[in-house]
Amino acid sequence: MKVLKIVPERCTGCMRCELACSYEQTGAFQPSKSVIRVSAFEGHTSYSPYTCPQCDEGWCLTACPVEAISINAAGAKDVMDEACVGCKLCTIACPYGTIFYDPARHKAFKCDLCGGAPACVDVCPRAAILYEEAEVSDWVGPFAAERTHGPGGALTAEVK
Amino acid sequence: MAKRHVIVGGGTAGWNAITTIREIDGGDSEIILVSAENPYSRMVLPYYLSQEIGEAHVFTASETRLGALGVETRFGRRAVRLNPNDNKLILDDDEELAYDDLLIATGSSAVRAPVPGADGANVHSFWTLDQAKEVTASLKPGVRVAMIGAGFISFTILNALIKRGADLTVIEIAPRILPRMVDDAGAEIVQGWLEERGVKILAGAEITSIEDAPGGGKTLKLKAGANIEADLVIMATGIKTNLEWLEGSGVEVNSGVVVNDHLRSSDSNIYAAGDVAEGPDLLGDGKAVHAIEPTAMQHGRVAGANMAGLDTAYEGSLLMNIVDVLDLEIASFGNWNDEDAEVIQIVKKDRPAYRKLLFNGGRLVGAILLGRSRDIWMTNDVGMLKGLVQSGCDLSEWKEHLRGNPFDIKRAYLAVGASGSLIPETLLGRPSVPERDIAVQS
Ligand SMILES: Cc1cc2nc3c(=O)[nH]c(=O)nc-3n(C[C@H](O)[C@H](O)[C@H](O)COP(=O)(O)OP(=O)(O)OC[C@H]3O[C@@H](n4cnc5c(N)ncnc54)[C@H](O)[C@@H]3O)c2cc1C
Ligand code: SF4
Ligand code: SF4
Repeated sequence: MKVLKIVPERCTGCMRCELACSYEQTGAFQPSKSVIRVSAFEGHTSYSPYTCPQCDEGWCLTACPVEAISINAAGAKDVMDEACVGCKLCTIACPYGTIFYDPARHKAFKCDLCGGAPACVDVCPRAAILYEEAEVSDWVGPFAAERTHGPGGALTAEVK
Repeated sequence: MAKRHVIVGGGTAGWNAITTIREIDGGDSEIILVSAENPYSRMVLPYYLSQEIGEAHVFTASETRLGALGVETRFGRRAVRLNPNDNKLILDDDEELAYDDLLIATGSSAVRAPVPGADGANVHSFWTLDQAKEVTASLKPGVRVAMIGAGFISFTILNALIKRGADLTVIEIAPRILPRMVDDAGAEIVQGWLEERGVKILAGAEITSIEDAPGGGKTLKLKAGANIEADLVIMATGIKTNLEWLEGSGVEVNSGVVVNDHLRSSDSNIYAAGDVAEGPDLLGDGKAVHAIEPTAMQHGRVAGANMAGLDTAYEGSLLMNIVDVLDLEIASFGNWNDEDAEVIQIVKKDRPAYRKLLFNGGRLVGAILLGRSRDIWMTNDVGMLKGLVQSGCDLSEWKEHLRGNPFDIKRAYLAVGASGSLIPETLLGRPSVPERDIAVQS
């Protein structure tokens, strides 16, 4: 399956992926509605996006009491708005923290790989997000570990 | 001859067991589903009450879907006796069903506080579709509703009652609301939030009787304080597991049917799943009844896999709940009330935001989160905290940082490699298949 492969070393923190994603998903250029999220490391000198890895278990999919999450043509777990009642069970079931709740619409929403043409990949000027055949892996973890130890990282207390 | 599985109870656990058996055997066995009610999802009843969804939306396994999966049904019928010695189940119309293996998935029912008048007119429970219909029919704007019990279930229907225009009073016998879901600090924030929005809350209040008032209403008498007048009383005072029919069967029962990590009871061809089962606890060596939807789903799927002949062990269930009341999200996980745990806790003063993290050494074992629905960190962090509890990743290096800012959970989550350790995890050792993608030969 083609997945979103993240290469954090290339990310500059420009947030274009968040803008494109929120626009594609909701019609608004509003990072808070994006389902790909950029985090800052080392005092805002390093960045990385993070999103749903379309995990094999699909904790969100199996948790939903009304079967509102299905697998779309791109192989992504996708919320069907007309079926979702907004109970948020999927948001506590997903151990990756990558399914969100829109309080205005009372619906859950998540990365659906834009049906096979991910907008974030399109707009990333540094090719930090690739859409390709790959085994899902923890793209961001090692980068985050490395970038949270030095001065300005979260763990500055450790290096005083 | 094809193996015959008998499933007793068509709720979340029973339905998930059926779809899992079919996902694995493609139709190669007999399945009979006995269920007192037509299968539906109890936990979406609050959205039926609020009239956001119609009745059709609550049903899960219709006769048509079950037929397509090659399942025979006995709806509206109850199991009344189990005879493991000759592998027979007896129904309320005396039908005897022979089985090769059987799943006990009879869930739980609402219990009412033992108060005089608790079974009177206009006093309702809210656990089944029939009960939900009664309450739905009695609601109109301005109706005075007295809700007895301020636990999780009563909070799941609070929004719906307000949305339907009810004038709501919540009465709780414990000294504070949500006694089994959040701690004192959390309860105080929730109570303040609700009172500011016009919900009347009486905690530490004991009802001594519920009487008919002249003119058709109800009068609730309290041990101390003024009477409460209401048009409608809803009792959300707890649940009990539906075990009576197992009496005399010899199946081992404690708080629920005791099952091992394969969801097998003391009889190896009798399984139990969901609210009725006492199974492995993810965070302890012991067993627990976790009467929540995700546990019923997981139990059902693991039991189904084993009934279909796989050898699937279950790591254990994790207690987790999330509910919003008037746009305040409340969530708790795992051992949120563990008194031996090391606690990191913070209350934000400028807005309702509360977070409590509980550690056992470097391992997160529980959490409480409170915050406005529109604060996006709420639902983002809920999942990551669950992932940290579930994966058991070592957060030792991060504890000091989190003590200063327990809201900065994401970088900790990423840096300890939580997603990496979760990626290989699946419940049944393979990718999940949505029910509509299961192929069954006819
Ligand atoms: C209003 C409400 C809101 C809820 N909200 C949440 C929530 O937000 N999150 C959460 O995790 N959980 C929630 N729950 C709890 C959740 O619904 C249950 O944990 C879940 O339904 C348990 O599934 P089950 O299959 O074990 O039992 P059930 O769904 O109760 O199904 C049991 C089935 O067995 C049948 N049965 C019973 N006795 C017999 C018999 N003797 N013979 C034949 N059939 C029998 C019943 O008719 C029923 O069909 C909520 C429940 C309610 C009522
Ligand atoms: S949202 Fe979470 S549970 Fe659902 S597919 Fe993505 S990672 Fe898996
Ligand atoms: S919020 Fe919607 S998609 Fe998520 S579990 Fe509830 S109904 Fe399903």
